[in-house]
Amino acid sequence: MLTKSSSLMRLVGELKKLPGVGERTALRLAFHLLKSPGNLTALSEALVDVKEKVRACSTCFAITENDPCAICSGNRDAAAVCVVENSQDLMSLERSNAWHGVYHVLEGAISPLSGIGPSSIRIAELLARVEAGGVSEVVIATNFTVEGEATALYLTKVLKPTGVKVTRLAHGIPLGSDIEFVDAATVQWALQGRNEL
Amino acid sequence: MHAEKLQSFVLSSLDYGDSDRIVSLFTLEHGRIKAFARGARKSRKRFGPALEAFARIDVQARIKEGLSTLQQADIISIYPAIRADLERIAHALYACELVDVITPEGHPIPRLYRLLAAYLDRLETEAAVEGDRRFFEVNLLNILGYRPSLESCTRCDSPFMEGGAWLQEGGETVCRFCCAGGKQLSSATLKALSACLKTGIFGQIDFPAASMQQAGYLLDEAISAHSGRRLRSLEFLQQISG
Ligand SMILES: [Zn+2]
Ligand SMILES: [Zn+2]
Repeated sequence: MLTKSSSLMRLVGELKKLPGVGERTALRLAFHLLKSPGNLTALSEALVDVKEKVRACSTCFAITENDPCAICSGNRDAAAVCVVENSQDLMSLERSNAWHGVYHVLEGAISPLSGIGPSSIRIAELLARVEAGGVSEVVIATNFTVEGEATALYLTKVLKPTGVKVTRLAHGIPLGSDIEFVDAATVQWALQGRNEL
Repeated sequence: MHAEKLQSFVLSSLDYGDSDRIVSLFTLEHGRIKAFARGARKSRKRFGPALEAFARIDVQARIKEGLSTLQQADIISIYPAIRADLERIAHALYACELVDVITPEGHPIPRLYRLLAAYLDRLETEAAVEGDRRFFEVNLLNILGYRPSLESCTRCDSPFMEGGAWLQEGGETVCRFCCAGGKQLSSATLKALSACLKTGIFGQIDFPAASMQQAGYLLDEAISAHSGRRLRSLEFLQQISG
């Protein structure tokens, strides 16, 4: 009989913390892994690797294994910074192949109803980057949700006094959208048609 | 169980798993309810931006105690002018959170529904100002039966004279004989607040600067006494209005 503290139940408990995974799914996943020891080893190694190697880029805060990340250290236009809520959004923009500048990952969005204010996300770091010089345009690509709009408006307010050009993705991205779920063609179109704020 | 058609405002919206959402709605017909919106995050077709805070929507829902199920949502307004202005967003979110924490679940409060509608309509057409926020708050307290005493002492019942009242913990107002310290509320402040309750229309009452501050002390006290927890959106509101 399995007790609550048994390693299998601990695994089930950890799996349950994942988004969209309930008790039954967690049990199914755990028993599936148990049946194939090879998979179990690969998964545990991958988990340890991720924990040890993956971190945030110290310049743009994108998820990376090398610091600075491949984008920051690559052949990109460092004077143009595209601001996104998270690394998934960054990946969506990269898939569009339409952006040749660098990024800044906020690691969230201003969400007053969740108690997430400007100081809870990486706005101070963005401001410091702009104030350090060398940035001529900031493109705000936060989501088209209330939180994303609030973040964009707040960023505009604090960035304007620095004299940097501030623009916002515009065309074609439907209201209420999470950039992560928007298709590449729409993202390309939006990047080309950004509006100055 | 059949689906009901409801008029509502989205008070808050929480992502649930990869594709679903749980929303808190303030409905005309049932008051505040929690509803599950399957596929709301991924499929924009079904709900689109309808399930975002302060959106006014018509919904089809199966009502169940605890958690209702949302089948469809049609947008009446997402309040585009509010969404384009930081201070208006902060005020609208604050109003939603206040209704969310202070109202009982499943009890229709049509007057409060109309007050929230009037406030959001006001924010859609006018800049966010403290007077409108205080107007909203005092009317909300009144509708819920939490109206502060503006005419007479809550302890000895004697009417407030020209000297006004003294504010005690929890939004209690007392006369100068019953007072044990506390902030003074001038008679002009008390009059402006009762006028807010009488007119019922935004933008009619002018608070002098000192009265605005005093009304703020009173309403903040009364609201925190009845809402049970500190409102999360209040910090942001103060941060950007300051
Ligand atoms: Zn980087
Ligand atoms: Zn008294």
